[in-house]
Amino acid sequence: MKKITRRSFLNTAAQAAAVTIAAPVVLPEGWYSFASPAPRGYFEREFGASDNLCQKVLTKALAKGGDYADLYFEHTISNYIMLEDGKVNRAYSDVALGVGIRTVKGDQVGYGFTQEMTEASMLNAAGTAATIANAKATKPAGKFTWLKTKSHYPTDIKLVSAPLESKLPIVQSVNDKCFSLSSLVTKVNAQFHDQQKRIMVITSDGVKAEDLLPRNYLSAFVVAEKNGKREQAGWNFGGRRGFAAYTDAAVTEVAKKAVNSAVVLFDAVQPPAGEMPVVLGPGLTGILLHEAIGHGMEADFNRKKISTFTTMIGKKVAEPFVTIVDDGTIPNLTGSINFDDESTPSQKTVLVEKGILKSYLHDKISAKYYKVKPTGNGRRESYQHYVVPRMRNTYMEAGPTAIEDVIKGAKNGIYVEDVANGQVKIGEGDFAFYVSQGRLIENGKLTAPIKDINIMGNGPKMLANISMMGNDLKFYTGGGGACGKAGQSVPVGFGQPTCLVKSLTVGGRR
Amino acid sequence: MNKEMQDLTVWAIKTAKSAGANDCKVSIGSQRNVEISYRQHKPETIKEATTKQLFIQVFVNGRYSSQSTSDLRKDALKDFIGNAIITTKLLAEDPFRSLPDPKYYKGRKEIDLGAVDPQYAKFTPEDRHNLVKAIENAALKKGGDKVISVTANENDGYSESITMTSNGFEGYIEGTFYVAGAQMTVQDEGDRRPNGYHYVVTLNKKDMPSPEEIGAECARRTMNLLGANKIKTETLPIIIQNQGVGRIFGGFLQAMRGRSIQQKQSFLANKKGEKVGSEHFTLIDNPFVKAGLGSRLFDADGFATKKRVMIDKGVLKDYYVDWYYSRKLEREPTTGGPTNLIVPPGKRSLKEIMKDLGRGIFITGFIGGNSNPTTGDTSIGIIGQLFEGGKPVQAISEMNISDNHLKLWNKLIEVANDPYPYSSLRFPSMVFEDIVVSGL
Repeated sequence: MKKITRRSFLNTAAQAAAVTIAAPVVLPEGWYSFASPAPRGYFEREFGASDNLCQKVLTKALAKGGDYADLYFEHTISNYIMLEDGKVNRAYSDVALGVGIRTVKGDQVGYGFTQEMTEASMLNAAGTAATIANAKATKPAGKFTWLKTKSHYPTDIKLVSAPLESKLPIVQSVNDKCFSLSSLVTKVNAQFHDQQKRIMVITSDGVKAEDLLPRNYLSAFVVAEKNGKREQAGWNFGGRRGFAAYTDAAVTEVAKKAVNSAVVLFDAVQPPAGEMPVVLGPGLTGILLHEAIGHGMEADFNRKKISTFTTMIGKKVAEPFVTIVDDGTIPNLTGSINFDDESTPSQKTVLVEKGILKSYLHDKISAKYYKVKPTGNGRRESYQHYVVPRMRNTYMEAGPTAIEDVIKGAKNGIYVEDVANGQVKIGEGDFAFYVSQGRLIENGKLTAPIKDINIMGNGPKMLANISMMGNDLKFYTGGGGACGKAGQSVPVGFGQPTCLVKSLTVGGRR
Repeated sequence: MNKEMQDLTVWAIKTAKSAGANDCKVSIGSQRNVEISYRQHKPETIKEATTKQLFIQVFVNGRYSSQSTSDLRKDALKDFIGNAIITTKLLAEDPFRSLPDPKYYKGRKEIDLGAVDPQYAKFTPEDRHNLVKAIENAALKKGGDKVISVTANENDGYSESITMTSNGFEGYIEGTFYVAGAQMTVQDEGDRRPNGYHYVVTLNKKDMPSPEEIGAECARRTMNLLGANKIKTETLPIIIQNQGVGRIFGGFLQAMRGRSIQQKQSFLANKKGEKVGSEHFTLIDNPFVKAGLGSRLFDADGFATKKRVMIDKGVLKDYYVDWYYSRKLEREPTTGGPTNLIVPPGKRSLKEIMKDLGRGIFITGFIGGNSNPTTGDTSIGIIGQLFEGGKPVQAISEMNISDNHLKLWNKLIEVANDPYPYSSLRFPSMVFEDIVVSGL
């Protein structure tokens, strides 16, 4: 086993940072090639994770007879810089390093992890994982073959990390732009976050896969004041992007969206309470799809028969103009992955095709249960967590209708522009999402702004109630989207065209 | 106290000072965690690991940053701390950043908070499996033939941490915890499969209810969801069950924080001394509850904790202001966040209250929703039962309540006699009148 471990890595990282400081700050985003996956061998080079060692650990993980085992190496560096009261005056960084070891027996999972990359620690964690089984030992593959995948985001460390000196002016600039856009702005909080997550997955069936997943975003949060009344709003831009994406135009857009969203709220009114037509604007409202349908399509819930969609595969669930997709291959979106956390290559998975329910989102356990191929949805938050089926970027394909006709079709109801968060009850299909900004629709036209209302519905009912689909599919391009399930948070993306839902419950106050 | 962790903390402070920090604060924590779940009478997941983390805050030439790492070897830490100093020097100055005045460290109580279960070392793997099996069996028995799936879980751990600052603070925290519960799915009409759950959290094993009670309560809560539907929109009294009150109170609490006030994101700014709720709304912050989930002898700044009345009969008495925001706000600090929050219980049981209310909604859970701390507007989905004459008549779903916190807490007309013991929010069930409940 090679003796280079974390100390030598940290030295290497410090040197790399010094080199990066001297590199050009702004490179065109197209400079990198999407066809080039991350360079291989990082974990063997820096931490001595050789094939021989991995085989030993996998052998231990299968010592009590599991069907399958895998190792998940992770080294993640996260940086945050924050502006408050006009100055970039705080920063936070975290280094996460460890390996998770999973043993699978049927649908049972044993899991151990260690933060120490030593053979003894890994074998100890593998021993914990192995306890899920209780039979004769099985053996891992004799050799590991590199997984070949395309890349859907930049994976060169020089493109996805930047020295602090390069990030500071960006955060300062978004603050200055916010104040210059409106005299009503009284406070701005801005933040730049960047993360470089290196992973390597080694499986007992002989696959090894390595990647570098960048994640970054610039956010602005604004408080505005008018006649003694205050309102707040924010916006962010990011995803799995190179640092060059943070151009002056991108910074301006973040500032404009945050300021305009706050200022318009001074005219906001409360919508009436109760059932009414709801038009979902394009982009971020895709969170509704994520909650209303996406979670219910995660195969673990269906394998256990606890999802409302358990018996619906092959059935008509929506009008023929409704096609819903979960796609991990869209360039630069937050939920994109080159392969999932158990080494299945990323793909586009059609959940609903022309109104018919087609496929669940599978990890290896559920794929085996349903006798289908895994769909690349086996994901985890970190080396401290085991894999469960999760969404990537979930969206609805564009329909045939002009946007103004969709709004006209609602007659009287509400139009949703900005959504803060959502939640679903898998078994019932009941979901909720919080509208931080929208408009009333009166006589087929957008009128007064609305804000801060919760909307509730039922997934299958809502799908059936989508009566018009706009032709303007947009993806949410923020970098902060994260989804929680089973105590784990993973980055996800959304997208949607404008669409009309005939009826949802709006939580107004009158 | 763990001598190795103590020595490393002292060493990290010395290293940061010699690398150029004017001041620093170092915390080192370690936690061992075990999780087991059962489904269909066999283990579904088994997980066990120990984690360690060092967290450092550095103050260099009027500048500030914080960093964390899981690599606690000295040679690696030396590089890590050196990099933290370099990073900090690049940031803008912040005249309000400093370690707290040491006078606030003084007066720490010397009492045993009961945070460590003396029996924890005797809690064996077999005990864990037996506990989870018993919860699963009880839930299945109570749920009967409606049950589609039950997953029972157990999670326990031991943690310790030591914190020191370069201006004399030293604090050690040690604790154990147990989480046990289950989630159940049952068959309703058509494709509807209601999913319910029940979990309890305690620091000592002896404080847990029996696994039979936990499993049965999970089943009861799940069966109560059967036949749910939405009713017409109307203005009704609502009762929020004790364990759910914290969810809606969170929006109020956010506005009590010093940061929210200083950043103009608080509907409670300038409301100290004013009425923000009804006479039934009294809120006490008590850090000294024996085996309380929020109990502590010092806060995140190192301040010695104190019992505080935050709201007295509807009048806002205090805010949560930490050292940093106290300097920005030019006011005396209190403490940065809540410990155990206690609303003194009322005299009547839920049953008695429900009987007198006539028609209303008993809210047992929430879904989605959010709260705007700047304006106080809040809106949230509700789960529960419509009741009439003291008896449940209909499970409800796809319904909402919306209000503004400054109005909502003035609609609090009674609190029940049932404070929830398995949370740092020891709230009893609460009764609000005249709430618009959105449905059909």
